[in-house]
Amino acid sequence: MNKLRFLILVTVILAVILPGVSAQDGDPIVAEPGQELNMVLLPKTLGNAVFDQAHEGAMEAHEELENPGELIFNAPTPDNAIPGQIEIIESAITQEVDAIMISANDYEQLLPSTQSAMEAGITVVTWDSPVAPEGEALFIAQVDFDETGQVMADMALSILGEEGGEFAILSATPDASNQNAWIEALQTVLEEDDTYEALELVDIVYGNDDPDDSYNEALGLIDSYPDLQLIMAPTTVGIAAAAKAMFDEGLCSEIAVSGLGLPAEMQEFTELGCAPQFALWSFTDLGYLTYYVTYLLATGAMEAEEGVTFEAGRMGTYTIEADPTREDALRVLMGPFSVYTEENIDEWAMDEEEMDEEEGEGDEEGEMEEEATEESDAG
Amino acid sequence: MKLLERYPWLRRWETLLFVILCAAVFINISLSEHYFNIDNLANIFHLSIEKAFVVLVMALVIINGEIDLSVASVMGLSASVLAYEFEKGASLESAISYAMLAGLACGLANGFFVAYLNIPSLVVTLAGLIAYRGAARILLEDRSVGNFPEWFTSFALDDVYVSIPTLLFVLVGLILIGTLVYQFTNLRQAVEEGAAFRFRKPGPVGLVLITVLAAVLVYMLALSSGAFEATTYVFAVLYLISLGILQFTNFGRYIYVIGNNRAGAEYAGLRVKQVKMTIFVMSALMAAFAGLMYAARVGNIRANAAEGFELDIITIVLLGGVSIFGGTGTMVGVGLSLLVVLNLRNGMSLRNINDNTRASVIGALLILSVLIPNWAQTIQRFLPRTLSGDNLTLDLENKEARESTETA
Repeated sequence: MNKLRFLILVTVILAVILPGVSAQDGDPIVAEPGQELNMVLLPKTLGNAVFDQAHEGAMEAHEELENPGELIFNAPTPDNAIPGQIEIIESAITQEVDAIMISANDYEQLLPSTQSAMEAGITVVTWDSPVAPEGEALFIAQVDFDETGQVMADMALSILGEEGGEFAILSATPDASNQNAWIEALQTVLEEDDTYEALELVDIVYGNDDPDDSYNEALGLIDSYPDLQLIMAPTTVGIAAAAKAMFDEGLCSEIAVSGLGLPAEMQEFTELGCAPQFALWSFTDLGYLTYYVTYLLATGAMEAEEGVTFEAGRMGTYTIEADPTREDALRVLMGPFSVYTEENIDEWAMDEEEMDEEEGEGDEEGEMEEEATEESDAG
Repeated sequence: MKLLERYPWLRRWETLLFVILCAAVFINISLSEHYFNIDNLANIFHLSIEKAFVVLVMALVIINGEIDLSVASVMGLSASVLAYEFEKGASLESAISYAMLAGLACGLANGFFVAYLNIPSLVVTLAGLIAYRGAARILLEDRSVGNFPEWFTSFALDDVYVSIPTLLFVLVGLILIGTLVYQFTNLRQAVEEGAAFRFRKPGPVGLVLITVLAAVLVYMLALSSGAFEATTYVFAVLYLISLGILQFTNFGRYIYVIGNNRAGAEYAGLRVKQVKMTIFVMSALMAAFAGLMYAARVGNIRANAAEGFELDIITIVLLGGVSIFGGTGTMVGVGLSLLVVLNLRNGMSLRNINDNTRASVIGALLILSVLIPNWAQTIQRFLPRTLSGDNLTLDLENKEARESTETA
């Protein structure tokens, strides 16, 4: 009896360990094209340029993988953000789609829906902005959330200089989980690192990713803080609106704007000096990578487990890892940041337009991706 | 035209809504294989149930000649009070009662300013829309509160299984309530004298229609076991209650009369102020309840909960044939318009048509709901024979107004 028990134990242990070992040691998992999957790409809202870019990236992967199924792109309007996303998820469950890729408007409120989607056998992957781990298979992180705080602190320091000064944050919605995590990371950097001692964060306001609201919040900041020198907007809508507000008021020489922005939208303001520096990652790549990961998971080629390595088409090899910013969560880290200034904005803004036409096959892009892979391996 | 004269109900807005509803359902069935699936039919209500609750009372408010723009903010405030109290460690039961008390306070404030200080309700409730939302933001700031107990969220999320005994129990209950209503309201008088309630013996077409509807209802109930959430059943009961209140009670008649001609109602000695006060309190209490249901459904609350819901709610009421100037409209129309809007939304959602397009379609429908009756009137002005017939509804309501002022 004891021997039998021992044997069973050994078998069980092997059964548990072996797949993990093989996944870690073996070659990266490669997607097998041509399998039929109906997939929903669900960004936060409609009418945001970055999400259209993510859509392009996903479509690129959709064609590359010769998926005969449908790639559905749908999102709520900003005024209906959370109930709208719930409705789209429920509708996707009814339509019996195979996978949903979500950039979540809320960390918790979508949980009941995403969980019932998972119960219905649908692969749920989040990108750009996650939901709580129990409601997703894994999260495709554009960049390391802590790194975002560091990059923003660095940009603030380089704009304000050694003597520092007052700055304020213009964020998206108060409940956007990615923006909140970045702001928190920024605050941690400011507190813990003496290099940034001279930077004083005076206020955080929310423009709800609405151009009008963001514009008005930016104007409000000028009135409330006469000594304000910088507005940091970790949202593409917010940074463009804030830069426009400063430009319209003729304040570009006094108050700088920085944060996360789209080169094509920011080029004019950077050249005018309103937004001397800002950063972003490629949303096209994010959509592409998200599609690849989701395809691999939904076809059953890959399990969402720590340490699994896979190949994502033109972007190279990635590994699923534990998410250091969230407990019990898995992520795939894309990375890294590109910082845009007056010197390089020209080519980037042009690149982006060309990319739209050529579906992103420039040499420079390729180099960028190699970098990305290296960094994610290192991290 | 003769047909229209013979069957006046053909001319009613409700009939057109019913036709639109049938068309919408037909199109949905033909365009999506997933539409006629019991889980999806349950979703139609589930995903907008909070709005549906508030629509019921909003109809009374608008028929009364007022408007309540603050409902969505009251929903947000009650949900936020619930979240705030719960976060502080209060039991959920006491948190719920605080939330309802907050709703009551909002209703009393709205009602006091409108009824007793005679400030237009548009202004009062616009102020409420801003102030109550502000209060919610003061309570919760940027935080989100969740982890409500299972029994609370399951009320809005879990499917209810209906057994035959409960079905029987509910039926007996409904018959009992019906008898009570019949005995203690003016329903009997209305039926006997044909006075306030425009109910006449149904013709053959009507009989067939009623039979079909009843059959569908029974079929749905039998199928619905294990598909619908408890909130949907609560809504069905509340719908019947508000239908009863508006169409069969004296209070309902006062609502029409005051909405039609406030000065006249006052001269006749109706307690206009009390009626308006009651309506605004009802509206806020229903909104507070809907806010709690929203909290139960999404399981997590921020201060911006239910933001912007008021416009959808008012749209559904107006589309239901309720005049924005007050005095006209029926609960049947409002119920049909609710079904039309929810079915259209659902159908478009199943075809992955995005929010922007959906909003345009509903908007176009609302404009048509105002234009079509106007066109009909213009056309009929050139057809003298049907002129008197066209004014039938108006006549009836005036008559109703006269009668109720007389009885009062």
